[in-house]
Amino acid sequence: MRRLFADRLVLATGAVVILMSLLFAASRVLG
Amino acid sequence: MRRYTVHGAVWIGVYLLFILAPLFALLTGSLPDARGFWTEFSVAIGYSGLAMMGLQFGLTARFRYVTDPWGEDVIYHFHRQISLIAVGLVVAHPLIMFAAQPQLLVLPEGADVPLGAVAAVVSIGALITLVVTALWRAELKIRYETWHLSHIVLAVVAVTGGLVHMVGWGFYLADPWKRAVWIGLTIFWIGLLLYVRFVKPLFVLRRPYRVAEVRRERGNSSTLVMKPEGHAGFRFRPGQFGWLALWGSPFRITGHPFSFSSSAEAADGRVEMTIRNLGDFTSTIASVPVGQRIYLDGPYGAFTIGNPADMHVLIAGGVGVTPMMSMLRTLADRGDARPVILFYGSKDWDAITFREELELLEARLKLTVVHVLANPPAPWAGEQGYIDAELFKRHLPPPYADHEYFICGPGPMMDSIEQALRELGVPMSKYHSERYRFV
Repeated sequence: MRRLFADRLVLATGAVVILMSLLFAASRVLG
Repeated sequence: MRRYTVHGAVWIGVYLLFILAPLFALLTGSLPDARGFWTEFSVAIGYSGLAMMGLQFGLTARFRYVTDPWGEDVIYHFHRQISLIAVGLVVAHPLIMFAAQPQLLVLPEGADVPLGAVAAVVSIGALITLVVTALWRAELKIRYETWHLSHIVLAVVAVTGGLVHMVGWGFYLADPWKRAVWIGLTIFWIGLLLYVRFVKPLFVLRRPYRVAEVRRERGNSSTLVMKPEGHAGFRFRPGQFGWLALWGSPFRITGHPFSFSSSAEAADGRVEMTIRNLGDFTSTIASVPVGQRIYLDGPYGAFTIGNPADMHVLIAGGVGVTPMMSMLRTLADRGDARPVILFYGSKDWDAITFREELELLEARLKLTVVHVLANPPAPWAGEQGYIDAELFKRHLPPPYADHEYFICGPGPMMDSIEQALRELGVPMSKYHSERYRFV
């Protein structure tokens, strides 16, 4: 169960990093 | 539990900060002209992926403050799973970059391949090799010790190659202070590795132990009894484990994690580990000579008895009983009056490690032992087969969510027991698990 929680944390971390990378790119192109 | 939740949330925040702050720091100071959206995105995931790879050194640096809220096996699980995301990001970086700017694939006539590009190829090659050998070590028949050494070397090559690529390309690192941040971060990551491989072993070296006795146990297992030499030893909580360096010095690359099986109340610093012969390094345990000097790095782990409202429920499979024995011996030494039940899965009656001592502990504690045998003798009136929700219903008083559960055994057994506890409505905060083959 804690591993399941860790798995979700891994996916959430990946999603946050990709979103932030999109934000990085958008701020470069738009800013 | 609440303290651990807060503690854990803080660490997730710190983890994300270490990935994202160096990335967004690139947006400060002088900036080159922006390229296309996908090129910039590919650069961002490259930097993030490298930062995640670097932080992998921190996850395995055995900082108790980091691992305590989660347990070591969960941290290692996170280390493994997050590496797939990190490698995915690093590999996607050139793929997206080349898809957005295919002209980058063509080298101008007469030009040498830039150092940054060579470093990128080396880094990605090392990363892919690292992940393939980690995921399929057993299938590739790589010895654990060989793999461990190659894992460390490949990780250092991958991270250093990534740094040389970034600095060599220099697009975002034109400002000296930005270069300093990323070079400093890489030194910090590799410093974590040096800490766990050189600094920590120095402390362990100064606190050796001697093997006082090697006891044969049922179930093809042996107990190492170890006494501190020239120091008082350490205090551990029952259920915790230590890294054992049996042959050679603590500087050797490969240590082996084993649970303590002795009482945490032992007065003379003596600790015991009970180890089953699984055919690998563990096959040497029975022949360890008395008097052998050994080194122990510990204690570690969050798998330890708390203060349940009513009863402890211990669930063990095979040699997963060792942390449970430490808990039971400790509870008995403390004169604990709360009820304890041990569900203990074994292959057969003769393979039950600690069988006789468990009978003695039933007299000292309010303990019930429920043996669950895969191959019971005839006649057998006890439980057989697998530990599942129906078995719990037969032996545990409801409400099930009031008890505190501790599970240790092979992976598939742990998965099915966690599923059974979910079926019984036991919340995650009420059970604790430790997978004894987490490395």
